[in-house]
Amino acid sequence: MKADKLSNIMKPLLESLIAIIIGVVIGAVVLKVSGYSPVEAYAALVKGAVGSIYGWSMTLSSATPIILTGLTFAISARTGIFNIGAEGTVYFGAIAAIVFTNMFANPVLGLIGGIIAGILWALPAALLKVYRGVHEVISTIMLNWIAFYTALYLVLGPLANPNDPNKTLEVPASARLPLLMKGSELSLAFIIAIVAAVITYYILWHTVLGFELRASGYNERAAQYGGINPKRAIIWSFVIGGIMSGLAGATEVMGRPPSYAISQGMANIYGYGFDGIGVSLVGRNHPIGIIFSGIFFGALKAGATYMQIDAGVPLEMVKVVQGIIVVAVAVPGLWDLVKKVVRR
Amino acid sequence: MEEVPIIDMKGIVKIYPDGTKALKGVDFSVKQGEIHGLLGENGAGKTTLMKILSGMLPPTEGKIYVKGREVQFKSPADALANGIGMVHQHFTLVEVFDALHNIILGMEGHGHFSKIDVDNARKKLQKLMDELNFQVPLDVPVENLPVGVQQRIEILKVLYRNVDVLILDEPTAVLTPIEVKELFDVLRTLKEQGKTIIFISHKLREVMEITDRVTVLRKGEVIGTVNTSEATPQLLARMMVGRDVVLRIQKPPKEPGEPILRVENLWVKGDRGEDAVKGLSFEVRAGEIFGIAGVEGNGQTELIEAITGLRKIEKGKIILNGKDITGRPPKELYNLGVAHIPEDRTHMGLILDMTVAENAVLGLHWREEFTGILNSIRWSNVKEHAKKLIEKFDIVAPGVDAPVKSLSGGNQQKLIVAREVSKNPELIVASQPTRGVDVASTEYIRNYLVKLRNENKAVLLVSADLDEVLQLSDRMAIMYEGQFVGIVKPEEVTEEQIGLMMGGIKDES
Ligand SMILES: Nc1ncnc2c1ncn2[C@@H]1O[C@H](COP(=O)(O)OP(=O)(O)OP(=O)(O)O)[C@@H](O)[C@H]1O
Ligand SMILES: [Mg+2]
Repeated sequence: MKADKLSNIMKPLLESLIAIIIGVVIGAVVLKVSGYSPVEAYAALVKGAVGSIYGWSMTLSSATPIILTGLTFAISARTGIFNIGAEGTVYFGAIAAIVFTNMFANPVLGLIGGIIAGILWALPAALLKVYRGVHEVISTIMLNWIAFYTALYLVLGPLANPNDPNKTLEVPASARLPLLMKGSELSLAFIIAIVAAVITYYILWHTVLGFELRASGYNERAAQYGGINPKRAIIWSFVIGGIMSGLAGATEVMGRPPSYAISQGMANIYGYGFDGIGVSLVGRNHPIGIIFSGIFFGALKAGATYMQIDAGVPLEMVKVVQGIIVVAVAVPGLWDLVKKVVRR
Repeated sequence: MEEVPIIDMKGIVKIYPDGTKALKGVDFSVKQGEIHGLLGENGAGKTTLMKILSGMLPPTEGKIYVKGREVQFKSPADALANGIGMVHQHFTLVEVFDALHNIILGMEGHGHFSKIDVDNARKKLQKLMDELNFQVPLDVPVENLPVGVQQRIEILKVLYRNVDVLILDEPTAVLTPIEVKELFDVLRTLKEQGKTIIFISHKLREVMEITDRVTVLRKGEVIGTVNTSEATPQLLARMMVGRDVVLRIQKPPKEPGEPILRVENLWVKGDRGEDAVKGLSFEVRAGEIFGIAGVEGNGQTELIEAITGLRKIEKGKIILNGKDITGRPPKELYNLGVAHIPEDRTHMGLILDMTVAENAVLGLHWREEFTGILNSIRWSNVKEHAKKLIEKFDIVAPGVDAPVKSLSGGNQQKLIVAREVSKNPELIVASQPTRGVDVASTEYIRNYLVKLRNENKAVLLVSADLDEVLQLSDRMAIMYEGQFVGIVKPEEVTEEQIGLMMGGIKDES
């Protein structure tokens, strides 16, 4: 039985490692074929991501939002649903944090603002699913677009910064999350993400609620038989997911220097929701796995800049190589998921 | 000189990845053209042995010979190529496909079904069904068909692949007596055609009737092989269990008390919107076992689901201990003292991907003894509870942290029964409680239901096994097309009368 538990952990770990190696090798071939030195490029990537304290700080701060959005996807997947609405939720989390901190100049209230926005924006998809049977993939994709344009309007209009045309109002200095290291981008936000992951783990495996979420995720009919209300489980899973993504948006504007605001085209908060899906798949939808896969993704992000600067690989090429690695790494997790869906 | 056996398995050892030693050096041989029974207690290793023979599982050690030639199967396809096919204990059909597509699915040359392929397959299948006098509707999605018919599709699926050796893992567990008879007719026809059949069942009567020889397994070892003509049910039971089994239950007479459950003019719809239960009224009293017999698919499932809060009630009332519980959710019913052993253990009674411990508290996981502050789960208490159930019901499980799907079918069933009676219910609704359970455990479960009755609990029993209903019930109803043909006392009717009533004919004499 002990051996069984160990193999339960070792097997996905090994699979992920092999996948990383395969991704790296394919990426190297692509680089080589395109006329760049794979060795140089990867050396730059590794050095940039983990070669220095500063590199580490970049890696961890890049990991922060995608750990949180990864948790959103994970908790929904554990409940048997595919909530891909983290993206839109992040925008509103960030916007709420800016509004709340400008009203109250207090970091705690800023985070609470992000959480409330996250919950509110998660509810439409949850209620549509439970009361109207609308598939969550459809509704969350549509809600993402609604969120995008609504947020864009707010960023360009009511929240625009009168002193700086490139961004929104800033989070006031008194409401910013303290930095863990002077001169870096690493703030308390990272700790918040870790705590959130641990709490998610605790909820899933050590509370009645988590038991009920997992039960309905595995088998809705049996859960119902077991006195569980699957509708309630679905709503809870969206709500907790909303909290995580709302926090991702809030911590990004409250704890990520230098801007402490949303940039004009929302570039600094865009894409985290989608990255979160990959992070969660690589982390096998397990909160603790997500911490590590989030850091891995963060390292790729942080190292990318150096691949560009030190090895002269153009940004597009960097993205391609990154994409190859991510896809290779996500395949085993995706495969598990597909098997689960097919089985139903 | 003895002829070469068609199947010869030598020294088969199977150790599962979690360390469970399911088979400890089994020798098993089957003669060409015989029907060979495989018997053994729950967890003895029958399914494991047959999965190895059909290429589903690799043996840890041992050799397999087919017609004297050594073979090594890497997949079920390999076994099929050698003429060996298996029908599994738990079905493997794709529920949304019709029978035709389920049967040709995965066949070589049918990668993408062209119209011609499908038409040919249909002709070939029709011929097969006519030859065997074994019909199924080919164009209805499988999920809309009763289990008995699904079972036939599984069998046809294997026969369509031209096997010489057909393995049937507890095929009769889900069948009504009439369906069993029909199946046996088909098996006899197949035998005449020269096919070899391996037949697993816990029902000794069936084994005595249909098999030529029987091999008995106990805890992963072969106890012996006997000619059926020289065996008795008592002998087989003793070989299985290692001691004499009393195939009887003690049921002292008892005056029933107040009604615990009252059903008034109940109307319930089936999955396809048809009226499945049509205005039923009855009561189950304290200290009484009320049985419901009938051919499956006559509204029993819908009736049970309505009573246990799992299906919408169109009209009528359900009253528990004087309290109207119509339309209340399962959790509320459980808290009022209802327990429910569902007929479908793999889709409803258990969550296969969760552990034994988690399943041991499903439906009572919110109770005070299992929860702490902030609604946390007290795992130590949960595991303690699971261990108690395992001990009390003699469940074979590798441990409480093992996934419940690694338990043998009968042990899964025993876990459900153990969990439900541990709720200490006022009313227990038991649907097919001993399905797939071995002889000794069946007697244990039946005696337990009687014990609950003796303790003044109310028991509502639904079973396709007529013997079970007759043996246990104080009163029994025969259900036909959503209504009761009659409510009788088992000792006051003959089996013939019940047979007629199950066909919807009421004998007024
Ligand atoms: N996938 C698995 N992993 C670990 N152990 C298993 C697995 N499948 C079966 N076992 C164990 O192997 C033993 C034999 O199981 P098997 O299913 O062959 O029993 P069986 O004789 O068919 O019983 P039943 O009559 O209940 O169907 C049991 O102890 C069971 O717990
Ligand atoms: Mg079995």
